[in-house]
Amino acid sequence: MKALTANRLIDGEVVFWTGADWSERFAAAVLFDDNTAAEAAEARAKSQITLLVDPYLIDVAEVEGGVAPVSYRERLRALGPTNRPDHGKQAAGGADIALLAHAHGAARSKGRVDLIRRK
Amino acid sequence: MYRYDEIDREMLADRAAEFRAQCARRLSGEMTEDQFKPLRLMNGLYLQLHAYMLRIAIPYGALRSDQMRMLAHVARTYDQGYGHFTTRTNLQLHWIKLRDAPDILDDLAKVGLHAIQTSGNCIRNLTADPHAGATAEEVDDPRIWAEVIRQWSTFHPEFTYLPRKFKIAVTASPKDRAAIRVYDIGLRLHRDDENALSFEVLVGGGLGRLPHLGPVIRQRLPVRHLLSYLQAVLRVYNRHGRRDNPNKARIKILVAALGPEEFARQVEEEWELTDKASVDLPSTELARIRAGFAPTGFETLSPVSTAFEAAKTFDRAFARFARRNVLTHKVPGYALVNVSLKAIGETPGDCSADQMDVIADLAERYSMNEVRVTYEQNLLLPHVKLDDVPAVHAALSAAGLATANINLISDIIACPGLDYCALANARAIPIAQDIARRFEDPALAETIGELKIKISGCINACGHHHVGHIGILGVDKKGEEFYQLTLGGSAEDDAALGQVLGPAVAADKVAPSIDRLVEVYLRERRQGERFIDTFRRAGLPVFKEAVYAEAH
Repeated sequence: MKALTANRLIDGEVVFWTGADWSERFAAAVLFDDNTAAEAAEARAKSQITLLVDPYLIDVAEVEGGVAPVSYRERLRALGPTNRPDHGKQAAGGADIALLAHAHGAARSKGRVDLIRRK
Repeated sequence: MYRYDEIDREMLADRAAEFRAQCARRLSGEMTEDQFKPLRLMNGLYLQLHAYMLRIAIPYGALRSDQMRMLAHVARTYDQGYGHFTTRTNLQLHWIKLRDAPDILDDLAKVGLHAIQTSGNCIRNLTADPHAGATAEEVDDPRIWAEVIRQWSTFHPEFTYLPRKFKIAVTASPKDRAAIRVYDIGLRLHRDDENALSFEVLVGGGLGRLPHLGPVIRQRLPVRHLLSYLQAVLRVYNRHGRRDNPNKARIKILVAALGPEEFARQVEEEWELTDKASVDLPSTELARIRAGFAPTGFETLSPVSTAFEAAKTFDRAFARFARRNVLTHKVPGYALVNVSLKAIGETPGDCSADQMDVIADLAERYSMNEVRVTYEQNLLLPHVKLDDVPAVHAALSAAGLATANINLISDIIACPGLDYCALANARAIPIAQDIARRFEDPALAETIGELKIKISGCINACGHHHVGHIGILGVDKKGEEFYQLTLGGSAEDDAALGQVLGPAVAADKVAPSIDRLVEVYLRERRQGERFIDTFRRAGLPVFKEAVYAEAH
């Protein structure tokens, strides 16, 4: 399962594709079971150059109570820094944030691998 | 302190206006991200995990009160009310919006601040001994020479697209407080046999994936030839540095490949061909810059302050602060006061906007308007009267800035790590917080004595882990955070690269491992030995055994 993420150009905020728009909450992300549909959405996002920077697909998986990014880096992006729980998306609280904060699982993030490759 | 002149001010205003136009073109879609990225990076604007990060240059770590107040204003107005001082003595703001960046550069330019030379493959912002102008050890004020190099290197057309970034550090004391052996070029001012000022020139130090300590390539460089000699070093690097592989493009790789003698020979050859007079700084210009750093306003005071001595006698917390954070000044009756940004449980190097204002006020009232940033992520008030230290201590205490732990186990360097940085493999901040909490008892920390822990969240080594007495490197083991420990590193005059202790340990095992290492040290140490001295004498195995014993 995949979700589509990017940083918003104007303010750098982490956003997720909902199927119709871009949301700041991971909980609103549309989940792709089908790779072809996911890649088509990613290609379309890459053309939205006045809105987004570096859109890419992330792996997500079922966890207790819902779905969360598999990689720790992507969960951090969806939450905020662990040294400042009052900063970032986590500051708003809510069940979806709690679910992400308690999720486990490990994998390398495609976002970082792509970044290193491009350097 | 040196003030930017009309040329500098126009340059900063032009630069801010240019960036405003570039941002507008990016937002309108006239420019793609690939076109825009190198331009925003040249203005210190990175995109990190949660937002943009602005890296503001603090040339040679020296700030005036009005500049510190502007940093507080920017942090409060455009960020979340704090900033992070780095091992490069810069300030990073981690919650910046692209739409605000042009206004921020305008604000910074009003007080002569900017983000030039904080990114890209140019000569980066200079660093220098934070005790400059205040220590009796120095043979000259290294800020003068750092400022000379700043003026020469800013927008230098020949050195704007080097094979990789290029960092220069300057000191003028035998004791190295600028980590010159791990810089691309390290400059140490000293007096030669004829008592003339000259530079010892080290080239090819650096940390990162392939750490090197810089060898000396010239023992005595007459100071008047500084710029022509630097040009020769950079020309050899620009010509032969590897552009085919970013991991091998730093000058340290070239110096190691050629050998220091051959590299030095090529530099001398290039230098001989140089029309030195056309490059070296005219003495009139040097005198103008030197005048900008001339000491002013020191009073003739008794070397002993009754108020200071009384406070030490009656206030144990103050006595500890005086022992750990206060140092002797070159002028009798004055002191250097270290301001620790390592309060227990806080993020190393972080400073709130309110704290910045407190420090700016203290600098204005008690330290001739000057503040310094150290590469160990602390601040320093360089010129405080001993009589005033109790008042400074009281004001720092009220602002949570009086932690008396300079050079102790909780005075930890940590990069932002995976909590913020797009390149990181693992978090660094929570590891530092865990260790600091474990050694929170100030009496225990003082018993342990000098112990420098340095933590990086990836191999790029912004947290200087290779040169920590205990170095900690975050690694990614199939997506999980693990930490590799190294022992025996130092960034000072006894510079050394640490040795790997053994297999990386899980995040929750790092602080307990530090406990084991400290136990071994306390058991094995001899009279007067610091942790690193005991390590050097006793060797790695005794420490390794203690950490990995449970695994066997």
